[in-house]
Amino acid sequence: MRLDSPAGLKDFKESLLAAPQGQSIWVCGGPGCLAAGSQVVFEALQYEAFKRELGHKVAYRVELTGCLGLCERGPLVECSPQGFFYEKVSSNDAPEIIDKTLMKGILVERLVTNPQKPNKEHLPFYEPQNRLIMRRFGQSSPGNFDDYIRTGGYEALCLAFELGPIKTSKRVEDSGLRGRGGGGFPTGLKWQALREAKGSPRYILANGDEGDPGAFMNRSLMEGDPFSIIEGLTIGAFALGASQGYIYVRHEYPLSVLRLKNAIEEAEDRGLLGKDILGTGFDFHLLIVEGGGAFVCGESTALMASIEGREGIPRVKYVRSTEAGLWEKPTILQNVETWANIPLIVLNGPDWFKSIGAPQNPGTKVFSLVGEVRNTGLVELPLGTKVSTLVNQVGGGVHKGRKFKAIQSGGPSGGCLPESALSLPLDFDNLTKAGAMMGSGGLIIMDDLSCMVDVARYFTGFLVEESCGKCAPCREALPLFHKILMDLTTGKGQKGDTDFLESQAKTLSTTALCGLGQSAANPILSTIKYFRQEYLEHEEGYCRSGRCQDMYFPKIDSEACKACGACQKSCPTSAIEGKKKEPRLVLVSKCISCGSCLKSCPFCAISAQRRPNA
Amino acid sequence: MPDKYIHGTIDGIKISVLKETTILSASKLLDINIPTLCHHEGLVPDGNCRLCTVEIGSKLAVSCLYPLREDNFTVNTKSPKVHEARRFVLSLLIARAPKAPRIIALAKEYGALPSNRFLPEADNCIRCGKCVRICKINRTEAISLVGRGPERIVTGPFLKPPEDCIGCLACGLNCPTGNIPFREKDGIRSIWGRNFNLVPCPECGTALFTKEELDFHKEFAADYCPTCRRKKIAGDLLNCQNLLVRSN
Repeated sequence: MRLDSPAGLKDFKESLLAAPQGQSIWVCGGPGCLAAGSQVVFEALQYEAFKRELGHKVAYRVELTGCLGLCERGPLVECSPQGFFYEKVSSNDAPEIIDKTLMKGILVERLVTNPQKPNKEHLPFYEPQNRLIMRRFGQSSPGNFDDYIRTGGYEALCLAFELGPIKTSKRVEDSGLRGRGGGGFPTGLKWQALREAKGSPRYILANGDEGDPGAFMNRSLMEGDPFSIIEGLTIGAFALGASQGYIYVRHEYPLSVLRLKNAIEEAEDRGLLGKDILGTGFDFHLLIVEGGGAFVCGESTALMASIEGREGIPRVKYVRSTEAGLWEKPTILQNVETWANIPLIVLNGPDWFKSIGAPQNPGTKVFSLVGEVRNTGLVELPLGTKVSTLVNQVGGGVHKGRKFKAIQSGGPSGGCLPESALSLPLDFDNLTKAGAMMGSGGLIIMDDLSCMVDVARYFTGFLVEESCGKCAPCREALPLFHKILMDLTTGKGQKGDTDFLESQAKTLSTTALCGLGQSAANPILSTIKYFRQEYLEHEEGYCRSGRCQDMYFPKIDSEACKACGACQKSCPTSAIEGKKKEPRLVLVSKCISCGSCLKSCPFCAISAQRRPNA
Repeated sequence: MPDKYIHGTIDGIKISVLKETTILSASKLLDINIPTLCHHEGLVPDGNCRLCTVEIGSKLAVSCLYPLREDNFTVNTKSPKVHEARRFVLSLLIARAPKAPRIIALAKEYGALPSNRFLPEADNCIRCGKCVRICKINRTEAISLVGRGPERIVTGPFLKPPEDCIGCLACGLNCPTGNIPFREKDGIRSIWGRNFNLVPCPECGTALFTKEELDFHKEFAADYCPTCRRKKIAGDLLNCQNLLVRSN
């Protein structure tokens, strides 16, 4: 059914709300849970419900939904309207869930953490969170238009039509929203610049080219709530006078591409995209461009080159995209998460938005929390939340009770911050000041078994492969840095390497052409800044974290050792000896310093000792 | 119109230029030398060699692309920061092209030494893509940069001798490291692994152009070499004049 006026949309929403909802079971369809087998759980639940011929008796729904967040304990299942939150569900649990929850509305106690409080809001993981961007995850089926409308979708667009372009744009400009793609550039300035720019046609672009290792928030958003991005883009096009938009998604995200494509088709059928949207005479066409998966294509000028059909390499950017962007026309490019914020801001107003988060950093930000914490997953926190809250409450502390060492934020362009960063508020300015970067929101927590030189080596290696090769500093210097870091982590380091790296990395950041090259030195610079001692030890051939092979000996603290034998089992060369109930010992002659024992010890009783020659 | 002009200083020398003039062009007006490798007057600047870096305000910018837009600009082309940036770039480029005279001279000037830790394949190519851009603007588009990062190279399609090459030598003559080898022997020109027959001038026999080149630029191509053409045109003119004199 095509909706041909804002009033028609309102009537449609009311008719949806009037229909009985019945019991719904939402199976998490986020990347983490899908990897953990939620598709099988989903199919088992559907099969069980089908077997009982429930369709004839009651109104019910069993569907996949967007990422529920707590990936560590997946596959997750949320039941509405009660809000029961089941963790680690397997297909064997399906009959019980159908029999108890779907048919009778009662709890399956063994699948929840706390049977007294079975809702996810009571878990420490969710307590500090404010799920705005992710509000539809667990309430709607991704790409289901009716669900989107029922949960308040397209209300913002109707309001924008009422307000007119200038007032709509003003709302966004006054909100203080900052770009969620990494740099934190004030969105309002971009909107103002485009509004005042001369020339037509104008283009509206969404950047869904998420490429940081370990990050999956844009992906979850595109897969979980594609309509919110489309609505944001439509509002942007209306306010800024554009009639053509593009969503740039990497082809490695096939499900994102599929869901967005379906959502665009559905919106076009319903009269919310394409010609004459909601009978207002406003046209907006949206296309998906699939990227080849180059990291550099997340950079704005490279992204535009890629959309134009050219090689995805950046150009020098002394003229802003809002003046001359795609095909040299005024263009606005924003991250998909920024676009998903637009409907919220337009609907609730700038003051509401400013009331969330920190003064210069309003709103919420989705982070993917990974690494050595108990609860990994997708979290949405108000900006300005303390890092310690993130690590200790949301993350549940460092894995196996080990010591927190560093937090890596911002992907390969970001940096590693030490323990002192725990007191920092998590926002754009503070992270940049500390030498890291918000980036798109990837956070990696590291424990004391992570070697910072090795981390820098890993990210530099990633950047060597992803450098486009256009400008000399990035193309030629990164392999050099990588070689030195390689040497440092394999015991071939030389005295003075740290100073050389530091000075050269600083010059790289001032001479490189694009944002990728300029920030490529960040992993090196931030680790040297905070972990200089570790670098100096590597020059001497010692790795205190027990990560770099042949650069340490494991030593078992005989007092801390509880003689559990875990290390003995993990050792591939049988270099650990000891009888039952006696502290274990490492035979230095047999040890290949692989690090297995360090990781396996549940009491952190094994430490990496300096080798006698080092 | 006076408001189209902006004023500022480059290395302390006052200058007024048209808005949107690049720093490099403005410096040329003052005879201030800024070293460049990937730049060519006839091409759209690319800004990839980073050698023309200068300081504007307190920021570093590549002068071949930076448009002067604001009044009271201060450009410094010789500050320590600029020197260090150029030295850094040259120390990387000298490792790639240790035999190129231009690079050697510049490296000497800025005191740039290659790292002793890691030497890339010294293939003498600095991947500035000047050849590719020249080939493109000549409408031949026979060669291109392929690959990514350190593996980026200039080559014909499918890493084979470029089929579309017309042997015009525009790439070879403009390469800043002189890395595109070509030679002419016995009326045959060889470049990019291909051989081209040179067409001799019917008048004097000098061979300047390849057959492919003459075919490609049909609309401009003449039958004679430039010297003979000049002679012929002058001769024709003289004949015309003689005719005119006679008819008068």
